[in-house]
Amino acid sequence: MTVPAHVELESGQAASTAETLAPAVEVHDLVRTFGPKAALAGVDLVVRPGQVHALLGRNGAGKTTLLRTLVGLVDATSGMVRLQGVAAPTLPRASRARLIQLVPSGDRTFYLRLSGRENLLFFARLQGMGKAAAREQVARCIESVGLTEAARRAVSTYSHGMQKRLSVARALLTEPAVLLVDEATHDLDPAAAEQVRSLIRSVTGRGAAVIWATQRLDEIRGFADEVTLLRQGRVRFHGTVEQLQHAAVSRRLIMRLQARSIPSLPVDQALSAAGDVVELDLMDDHQILTFDLHPDVVLSAAVMALHVVGWDVLACRRERSELESAFLELTEEAG
Amino acid sequence: MTAVAIAVRQVVSDLPKVGAFIRRDLLITLSYRLALVADWINLLVQMVTFYYVGKIVDGATMPVYGGARASYVEFVSIGIALTTFMAVALTTVVQALRTEQLAGTLEVLLTTPTSVAVIQLGSAVYQAVYIPLRTAVFLGFVALIFGARFDPAGVPLTLLIVALFVPVVWGLGLVSAASTMTFRRGGGLVGLGTIALTVTSGAYFPVDVMPGWLTPLLAYNPIGLTLEGVRRSLLGDGMTGGEVFSLIALLVPMAAVTLALGGLAFRQALRREIRRGTLGVY
Repeated sequence: MTVPAHVELESGQAASTAETLAPAVEVHDLVRTFGPKAALAGVDLVVRPGQVHALLGRNGAGKTTLLRTLVGLVDATSGMVRLQGVAAPTLPRASRARLIQLVPSGDRTFYLRLSGRENLLFFARLQGMGKAAAREQVARCIESVGLTEAARRAVSTYSHGMQKRLSVARALLTEPAVLLVDEATHDLDPAAAEQVRSLIRSVTGRGAAVIWATQRLDEIRGFADEVTLLRQGRVRFHGTVEQLQHAAVSRRLIMRLQARSIPSLPVDQALSAAGDVVELDLMDDHQILTFDLHPDVVLSAAVMALHVVGWDVLACRRERSELESAFLELTEEAG
Repeated sequence: MTAVAIAVRQVVSDLPKVGAFIRRDLLITLSYRLALVADWINLLVQMVTFYYVGKIVDGATMPVYGGARASYVEFVSIGIALTTFMAVALTTVVQALRTEQLAGTLEVLLTTPTSVAVIQLGSAVYQAVYIPLRTAVFLGFVALIFGARFDPAGVPLTLLIVALFVPVVWGLGLVSAASTMTFRRGGGLVGLGTIALTVTSGAYFPVDVMPGWLTPLLAYNPIGLTLEGVRRSLLGDGMTGGEVFSLIALLVPMAAVTLALGGLAFRQALRREIRRGTLGVY
């Protein structure tokens, strides 16, 4: 399937709002090589204030390298990064730290013997805050992530979800204009993951731009305003979640069939014009059919073809979600 | 404004952050109470060992300070105190770096607007306060329990000599840290050099017993020079102004060289890691 490398936003509220705001992050033709391997090979990205921009890709696609380059932990080989319109390399460290913060992917990014509060106080002081201001800001940030009661406990006693929320709180200490979140929910249970996502939503609510690197497709629907999908360091897709869903339509279907008396044709012959039978299994009193629908055939035609020869379709579902299909097709390794 | 001036201004403006490092390290140390107690017990056991070794050492081989021959316990306790002090100073930055890497906090630290020099200083400052206190208490115990005689009048000169010695060790520590950052466990090579310097310094036995051909080298061993100065201050009748000046004339250039080398090596190692994107890898 051919998909344009960059799908422009068409219309809609998110698009029109975004267009009116100057970009918080602009990345143009960013290249980062490690020896002969290009971790980033000409990446373009624009994220506007108040947006959640999902960065999708398989392991090794370049997501983390991109985030680390934005925050200054990795040098770019070439290309341009602008933060609020200013070339990132020319920004003094203090200004850059105020502008952009990272929520790293790992769990172990705190001093485990210290309490959550003490950890945040330490980092607040390193961000240049005075003692009183640091105490005040730490209390505020801890409260905003719902950790006030646990604030004086050692971080070693925190759950994964609590550590992740503490990590978000640390990133919010400077009230950054851009928040980079790297695989924040990959090891969290659904409830904890939802807590983190709603935290991030509240951050965009006050105008911050968020770049959210993830492999979890289920979480970007209804959460991300835009998506950039990376494969082998290149942008494979850029657009909205809806556009990503339409980028690949899953045509593999799984049906549960039941014969009405004796069918006049077997399943494969009944469907020969509608698609290809991949697998047919007998289960109790019905058949489980895995079937690839031909691109020019609609589902109702296949159902009708079965019905007229004596097969009832009891249930039908796609083998994969549209997002999952798009992800797999767009990130499929070449060759 | 030159790059150096900007860097200096950044370091100066970051200095108030050092207090946060002290608080962090104090709280972490207090959270490991058993390790703290074990450290003191270890020191005491070491001293008891040397006390009994001293029983079999011929007192006549001990050097004379201020007209009186030192006992082995007096002699070696100063060696232990100074080499322990040196070992800690030498490994503080390396250990801090490793700890931050293992804790996963190194990259987070480096995303804060804090100069690398202040991160180094902050990582070491707690030890810099704790170790002299520990050394003083240790020597006090040795005097009390084993009857060693240290002259309190020699303390100011001792402090001056140790103050001259610290930058030398600090520079070597930075080289070691750079080596660790680059080769992960590369501190071993620097450690080997340090052991060679320690063995030939006269920390545990008088240098007179070593082969004569080593004598010219021993005269430029910074640990040996410092030890001799401290022993003369605490066990003898001190040093003349000329002797102090000579010591300063030797230690200051050594400090300048090791600090410059260490600073450069560390900066280069850090740049390399950021260039390669392997800062958090351990």
